Amino acid sequence: MADPLANQPTWVKVGSSTERDTLSALEEALRAMQPLHPPKLLVVFASPLHDFGRLAEHLQAAMPESTVIGCSSAGEIAGSGALRQGLVLWALGGSAITVCSGWGEADQQGLRGAAADAAACLNQIERRRHTVLLLLSDGLAGNQMDVVRGAYDIAHHDVPLVGGCAGDDLAMRRTRQLHGTRVLSNAVVAAAISSDHPLGVGVSHGWTPLSAPMLVTDSRGTRLERLDDQPALDVYCHFFDLDEAVRHDATAFATFAETHPIGIRRRDRIEMRHITGRDLENRTLLMVAEVPQGGLAFLTQGDVGSVLAAAATSTEEAINALGGREPVGLLLFDCVSRRSVFGEEGAQDETERISACSGGVPMAGFYTYGEIARTSGSGGFHNQTLVTLAIG
Amino acid sequence: MEPSWSLHLLSEVLSAFSTDDPDNLRDVLNRVAESVDAEVCAVTNAGHMECSIGLAEEERSRVLELAPSRPHTMGISGGTLCSCWAPLGGERQLLIGRIDVPFELEERSLLRAMARSIELSLRMLEAITAERQARRDASHQARHDPLTGLPNRVLVLETLNRWLQRRPGLMDKPIAVLFIDVDRFKWVNDAHGHAAGDALLVHVSRILQTAVRRDDLVGRLSGDEFIVITRSSSRDGARDLAQRIVKAVRKPLRLAGTELSHSASIGICFAGQTDTASTLIENADMAMYRAKAQGRGRYAVFEPMLREQARERLELEEALRHAVDQMQIETHLQPVVQIRTGQLVGFEALVRWNHPRRGLLSPQHFISAAEESDLIEEIDLAVFSAATAAVARWQRLPGWDHLRISSNVSARTLSSADLVKRLQSRLMSSGINAAQVYLEITETSLVDDIQATGDTIKGLQDLGLKLAIDDFGTGYSSLLYLKRFPVGLLKIDQSFVADLGRDPDDETIARAIVSLARALGVQAVAEGVETADQEKRLRKMGCECGQGYRYGRPLPIATVERQWFGAAIPVQTRS
Repeated sequence: MADPLANQPTWVKVGSSTERDTLSALEEALRAMQPLHPPKLLVVFASPLHDFGRLAEHLQAAMPESTVIGCSSAGEIAGSGALRQGLVLWALGGSAITVCSGWGEADQQGLRGAAADAAACLNQIERRRHTVLLLLSDGLAGNQMDVVRGAYDIAHHDVPLVGGCAGDDLAMRRTRQLHGTRVLSNAVVAAAISSDHPLGVGVSHGWTPLSAPMLVTDSRGTRLERLDDQPALDVYCHFFDLDEAVRHDATAFATFAETHPIGIRRRDRIEMRHITGRDLENRTLLMVAEVPQGGLAFLTQGDVGSVLAAAATSTEEAINALGGREPVGLLLFDCVSRRSVFGEEGAQDETERISACSGGVPMAGFYTYGEIARTSGSGGFHNQTLVTLAIG
Repeated sequence: MEPSWSLHLLSEVLSAFSTDDPDNLRDVLNRVAESVDAEVCAVTNAGHMECSIGLAEEERSRVLELAPSRPHTMGISGGTLCSCWAPLGGERQLLIGRIDVPFELEERSLLRAMARSIELSLRMLEAITAERQARRDASHQARHDPLTGLPNRVLVLETLNRWLQRRPGLMDKPIAVLFIDVDRFKWVNDAHGHAAGDALLVHVSRILQTAVRRDDLVGRLSGDEFIVITRSSSRDGARDLAQRIVKAVRKPLRLAGTELSHSASIGICFAGQTDTASTLIENADMAMYRAKAQGRGRYAVFEPMLREQARERLELEEALRHAVDQMQIETHLQPVVQIRTGQLVGFEALVRWNHPRRGLLSPQHFISAAEESDLIEEIDLAVFSAATAAVARWQRLPGWDHLRISSNVSARTLSSADLVKRLQSRLMSSGINAAQVYLEITETSLVDDIQATGDTIKGLQDLGLKLAIDDFGTGYSSLLYLKRFPVGLLKIDQSFVADLGRDPDDETIARAIVSLARALGVQAVAEGVETADQEKRLRKMGCECGQGYRYGRPLPIATVERQWFGAAIPVQTRS
């Protein structure tokens, strides 16, 4: 049967599965998208429990004309709601769309070089009026600010960046990035998407400062050493009056920190930084990305209501950026910590809100270890945030 | 209370510049831009861009054009770049730009006010960077060969050890060490000068770098010794690589105004479970020696028995060096006679080692060890000196002025740059007539080294010396070479003489050599003549001279003197 969307200038289709067997899951997700005209871009997000080698090989074999990228996740988002240990496919096609992809490894050159290598696909794409660069990085590979910086070295100010950091169901051992039939770790994969129609990016988190602003007096890489000249861990524990049990139990501390991130003052917003752990000996907080020394930081808290509200804000912002055009699909990068705040019920509530805001267009995404969205300025790494890409 | 945004800007921008980890200026500019929500940050200096982020190539040119006037706004793709400039001393300026979002007066004022601090911070960054670079340079120098830029022995060992430690994860890709030695490199250095030698080494290093894959390591251990460490999916991969290198190195190189024909010998060793870096290199070195022994310009793979052979060779070489020092190397002479008349025409000088325990050793027991070391040149010249001195003495006896002497010279000695000079001094001290002196060289060494030894042979010709081609018929001499060089004797190899009368093929070959000698106007000398029948057949085919047990065994000079000239020699001239 012919795909009725085949002649549309832009279209998005989504398929998903919670089957444990990789090939069965892939078949089910592809079946859900039938009839399917070959998409320009096929993005896959899947639980690390899946066999990524087989996944990449069979997906590319099923869609040999399509550019395929993807990554492992800490949960998946499909039109039907939030999944656990699932697999989701997001297909983008249409005559108005062009796509080009790239990848880079951080082993020798670091994340910045890897991101620049991946972003170099921008130099090959047939440019249409609107372009974004979609980035998927290894969320366990170091300072994720470098992913944005490396991509920005190539994209410059006129190409927005959007994407997320691959997860591994919170095992914190190894994530996967996928490019064609290539399965990577410690890498960045990218797809440049260019369209005759607008592409909108929305960013929102819903967290609010609890503490007074504090000067970041010592910060090195992803280690936040001192706030207001005091050991950062002590400031954090004292402010939240953490129990001894939470202070000394790594898991309990990480669970608490998921919902109490650090906020960084930017000119017109607060940017969030996720705390991945603490160093008891040096009294430092371990972050997923750097907290700039000399900057102003806050201790923050999110409540279910504000965090859920941010989902709608992010979606509306992305759709508003389409300049009045109706979206045909959404791609979502949602911080895994947000899911912890509002729980399973809230996760479904979040996807329903997003769906309601967008008029129920096909949407997919994953729960990330960090989100990327740069539309203004040169920074664009986020945590505890929902980043939305709307396809016009 | 939260400080104003502008004050915050002051704090974060200064912090970005005062980092004590300035990997590069670009990171600092990123931090500055991120802290003030700017798309662009750049340092310009006298018409060029030291560093920038956020600007495409064409936009950088436009910004540079406008930099002297420090405009507050500039039109670029995507909108208006609202700019804030801070002087950093001299013509250096910091530019921070936001697209479509103007800087407030307070922001601009603060940025200008902190310009001096940024300038000092930048200088500090540059000083730290320069110091780090100096340290990196020093570390690089300590681990790299200054001539070729390749990793030196230290870095090769470090890298190989690291690879060996990671070995368990790479079991499917064996590590192979290729030990590459440039053949006859000493001769290139001596004959063409050190500059030419250096050029050859650089040339070989380029060949190696081109031949290997990106992940392989090429290093220079010392002198003309190079190393390649490679991981390939099979052992054949390393062999193929060695073969490619051998082939590439063999291509002639134009150096010092001449076309240099050169080659490389390669030893390969594959890493085993317990091998260390040093062991692997030693083993590959031994395999390289085997490749050289097999004829140079080829590769050989290490086998455990090579270690034993190498030990024996080292012991032999040590003993031989001792023998040379202790005068255990003796010169023996074997008579050469005119077959038709039986008259003595001269002698061939042959080397013997008078071993204190094993007795008198013939050359096959030690000459290859001597050839692999630098001892062969000393031995060849010692034999030459003793033989020419003796024959010169006998030539002064009545009726013996026609006596000639031929003395063996190895390929290695022949390639020695100062051979002509050293022979000249020995000819002078002996007082022998150079026209009666022949240098015996093998046919193969003449052909193999024709390019390298051309100048030396010309020098020998100038001294009046002639060549005797030893074992003629076993190599592939070009007639052209025989015509071009001062060849005086063609020696018929004893393998052809032994079966005269039994093997018609040998007889045909012997006859052909005699005919060729006659055509060239040189004498043919049959080696290994033992029987009357062989003598008769040689006489019949017109061979002029013969040597062999039929005429006399090789004997010490003193014995020869007693046997042949005892009655004629005056007592006071006897040595």
